[in-house]
Amino acid sequence: MRQAIRAIGWAVNLFWIVLLFFGATVIYSAFQLGVVPDDAFISPIVDGVVTISMPYRFNNSGLYDISDLYLASSVKDSQGAEILNSSSQLPLIPRGSQVNLVHNISFSMTEMVADGFSYLLFNDTELSVDMSLGLVYARVIPVQVSTNMTMPWGAPLSNLTLGSVSVAPYNASHMRVSIPFSFENHSFFELNGAIQLEIVDNAGRVVGEGRTGVNAPPQSPPFRTTIDVFIPLTPTSFREARLYFDTSAFSYGPMVIPLV
Amino acid sequence: MLPRILKATIKGLFYFFILYVVPSFLISQMSETAPGLFSSLTGLVNLFVIVIVFFVVASELTSGTIFQHAFNVGKAIILIVFFVLALGGGVVTLDVERIHLFADLRVVLGMLIVIDLLSLAKSVLQAVNFLLDRAERQLPTPKPAG
Repeated sequence: MRQAIRAIGWAVNLFWIVLLFFGATVIYSAFQLGVVPDDAFISPIVDGVVTISMPYRFNNSGLYDISDLYLASSVKDSQGAEILNSSSQLPLIPRGSQVNLVHNISFSMTEMVADGFSYLLFNDTELSVDMSLGLVYARVIPVQVSTNMTMPWGAPLSNLTLGSVSVAPYNASHMRVSIPFSFENHSFFELNGAIQLEIVDNAGRVVGEGRTGVNAPPQSPPFRTTIDVFIPLTPTSFREARLYFDTSAFSYGPMVIPLV
Repeated sequence: MLPRILKATIKGLFYFFILYVVPSFLISQMSETAPGLFSSLTGLVNLFVIVIVFFVVASELTSGTIFQHAFNVGKAIILIVFFVLALGGGVVTLDVERIHLFADLRVVLGMLIVIDLLSLAKSVLQAVNFLLDRAERQLPTPKPAG
C-alpha cells in the first residue's frame, strides 16, 4: 500500500507541475498575441452589392497554436432587427507566425429594402454593430471576445423633397409638367444612375413620364434637379407622382407622392 | 508539541508566500497592462490561500493522528468544490467596459478535479494505512512455541 500511496503522490505532483506550467505558459502566450486592425476600405459597388473590407493582422508570438478563429459581425437597427451579418474564418494561426484576415461585410441595399428596411434610404440613424472574435487557444481552450458599438448611418436619399409642380404649355398637343426635387447623399457610397418619374391621373393611368440622371458623390452638397414630364393636353387632374430609383447601389420604387 | 507548532507556522508562512504574495505581485503587474481584467481575481486568490493555509496548518498540527488524514480528505473535497465554483463550472465570463470575454475552461477544470481526486484517493489510502499500522501495533506479539 505504501508503494501505491507514493505513486499517487508522484502523480499528483507531476500533474500539478504540468498544469501550472501549462497555465503559466498560456497566460504568457495570451499576452504575446497581437491583433492589429488596418484601415477599412470600401470596394467599388458590383451588382448593387456594397462591400466594406476590414483587414486584420493576427500576430501569434505565443507558444501555442490558435485554431478555428472566426470573426463575426452583426448589424442591427435601433429596434434590434438584424439588417445583415457576416463572418470570416481562419482555420489555423501557427505559433510564431503572422496571418492576415480580411473581414468583408457585404450588403445589397436592394435586398435590404426588400427586407423592410427601406427607411434606411431616407433617414439617417444609428446602427448597432455586434462584433465577436472566437478562437480555440492551445487546442483546448475555446475563447470568445465580443463587443458592441454604434455606428452612424447616412441615408443616400436623405431629405428627399419634391418642390411645387409647375405646368406650362409645350406645344399644340402636350403640356410640360416640371417637378423640382432634391436630396442629400449622406451615405459613404457614390450614387450614380437615373430617377424616373411617372405622373398618374385620377383614373390611375400613367399619363406621362420623365427621366433624369443622378450623380451624387458621398457626403456631397444637396443634389438638385428638375424632371420634365410631357403630358397630352387633355382635361384631367393628377393624383400622384411615382418615383423610381435605379442606381448603382440600389433599385427602389415606386415611391408614391400625392399631387394636390 | 512546540516543534510541531513551529513546523506548522513555517509551512503556513511558506504556502502563504507562494500562494498569496507571488500571485498578488503577478496580478498587480498584469493589471497594469489589462486594468480590470485581473483585479476581479483577487477575491478568489484570497479565498484559495485561506483554504490552503488553514488545511496545511491543521494537517501539520495533527500530524501523526488520524485527524491529519481527515483534514487532507477535507482539503481535497473542499478544493474540488472551490475549483468548480471559482471556474463557474468551467465556463468563465468577464465583462470589462464594453468587452465581453467568454472562456471555456472545462478541460482545465477537469485536470484540477482529476488532481484533487487523486489527492483524495491518496489521503484515504494514507488513512487506511495509518489505521492498519496502528492495528498491527496493537496485536499481541506471538511467543515462540514450546
